[in-house]
Amino acid sequence: MSVAIEIQNINKKYGDLEALKDINLTINRGEFFGLLGPNGAGKSTLIGILGGLVNKDFGRITVLGKDIISNYRETKKSLGIVPQEVTFDPYFNVRETLEIQSGYFGIKNNDEKINELLKALDLTDKAEIGPRQLSGGMKRRLLIAKALVHNPEIIVLDEPTAGVDVELRNSLWDYVIKLNSQGKTIILTTHYLEEAETLCDRIAIMNKGEIVKIDTKENLINSIDKKVVSVKFADSVIGLAEKLEGTSCKIDEEENRIEIEASKNDLNDLLKFINNLDLHIVDMNIESAKLEDVFIKLTNLGGDRDE
Amino acid sequence: MNSITFYSLVKREVSRFSKVAIQTIFAPLISTGLYLIIFSYSFKSREVVGYGIPYISFIVPGLIMMSLIQNSFANTSSSLIGAKYNGNIVDFLLAPFSYIELTLGFMIGGIVRGMLVGSVIYLVSILFYGGEIVHPLLALLFAFLVSSIFSLLGIIAGLWAEKFDHVSIFSNFFITPLTFLSGVFYSVKGLPGIWSKVSLFNPVFYMVDATRYAFIGQSDVNPSFSLVIIGGLAVGLLLLVTYLFKIGYKVKS
Ligand SMILES: Nc1ncnc2c1ncn2[C@@H]1O[C@H](COP(=O)(O)OP(=O)(O)OP(=O)(O)O)[C@@H](O)[C@H]1O
Ligand SMILES: [Mg+2]
Repeated sequence: MSVAIEIQNINKKYGDLEALKDINLTINRGEFFGLLGPNGAGKSTLIGILGGLVNKDFGRITVLGKDIISNYRETKKSLGIVPQEVTFDPYFNVRETLEIQSGYFGIKNNDEKINELLKALDLTDKAEIGPRQLSGGMKRRLLIAKALVHNPEIIVLDEPTAGVDVELRNSLWDYVIKLNSQGKTIILTTHYLEEAETLCDRIAIMNKGEIVKIDTKENLINSIDKKVVSVKFADSVIGLAEKLEGTSCKIDEEENRIEIEASKNDLNDLLKFINNLDLHIVDMNIESAKLEDVFIKLTNLGGDRDE
Repeated sequence: MNSITFYSLVKREVSRFSKVAIQTIFAPLISTGLYLIIFSYSFKSREVVGYGIPYISFIVPGLIMMSLIQNSFANTSSSLIGAKYNGNIVDFLLAPFSYIELTLGFMIGGIVRGMLVGSVIYLVSILFYGGEIVHPLLALLFAFLVSSIFSLLGIIAGLWAEKFDHVSIFSNFFITPLTFLSGVFYSVKGLPGIWSKVSLFNPVFYMVDATRYAFIGQSDVNPSFSLVIIGGLAVGLLLLVTYLFKIGYKVKS
């Protein structure tokens, strides 16, 4: 597999704040890669360095084998970056904006692509409208369309769905999945972890300027040995609390429902125990760990969050 | 240089000011038109020492320079501070512009506006002084160089400024005094004692004086000398601005 982006020893300080501490990361071509982390982890700073919006202090990044400093014109053409911050050029309507943007990337007569993007992002009937008249979510969709006019090999989406409604979020993802299946590399940051869990092949979790874990989504989720068994009974669960002492459980006495967390090793014993309760089971559900569990564990969000 | 990339930036810069033409083209026309009316009537019989021409013919080249200067400066400075304010400066950073393309692209936008306003004012001034230009090509060359210089200064001001107010600091404390003291309305030769020497340190003086040479064939200093100063300034600023784009002065963190 060839390499899309290679990040080596990237460091960035803002005054005393170490926004990025020695970041190393390789993203392969065709991957759908997730870059996750709490607010201030350094995700946007890293993307900014990649796109030439932020100066790095140290380190090296190559895009499709080309250095982003010495070959910046070529690397910029390979990248389509959707910045987190929504901005617009107030002098031009939606279509003009996309035409100018195509021109910046050296493309004349880009109507076909522009129309495709307007359609995919549901902006067709807003095409002749000035950006000030767009709603917040529409502005963000315009920002996404702008990043894609030059058909970039690598697409970097910094929280593209913040403020975008559910329906459009889904159609946006359909479009991005299509691009990915055509071989485009996708890098995504998002705070909607279910989104990342559904979409990404591989995920890096950042915290306080460091990458704390990189792995495939499956490995990350499997690394958490947690099953949640929830059972609904026909009979009252009052009194069960005593028997379940020592386990991590929730008891809903009104709904006759219990929810127990267990490691995979304990599953056997747990199911036997439930069976031995001699209560009539109405419904049962076993859930695996979620990306969210991994995220919380690795970034310590539950514990000593010092922000 | 990629021609489409570069042309698109120039096009963006020109359409930006064209879309607000009332404020970018017509407003300056009115203020300079007022100067023309006031000076042609109030100082009808005034003579400039050593020039032997009507006062209005003396001041027209300077007035055209003034509007050229103000408009090319205003164009690039407001384009950049606006782009910083709206955040769309990132468009220019994410796109594959070389640093010299960014410099020239913004600069040409300023030149087009400066020369457009300058030309319209020239056309209006024909009504007041007849419209003769002794060396028309030289006049064009000086107009081009001067608008380049002030477009480049406008880029510097726009990059440096953190708010719109800062741009007016730049023009009120720097450009306006230098222009008014540059001999638009008088010959510096006629200034008393030290002031005629001090004027020689004002670069705008050479721009006005050289343009006047192109218009009426007379000047305070040798126009070749002025050309060297103006040309040198233009090249120096071009390099400086390209460097500022390269380091991302005040736009990259
Ligand atoms: N221009 C700047 N000047 C000073 N500090 C900055 C600047 N930009 C970012 N920072 C700091 O760098 C750190 C990383 O910020 P960054 O924007 O990269 O975080 P992030 O992971 O994208 O967070 P979020 O999820 O909130 O977008 C933060 O502590 C932030 O305060
Ligand atoms: Mg961010």
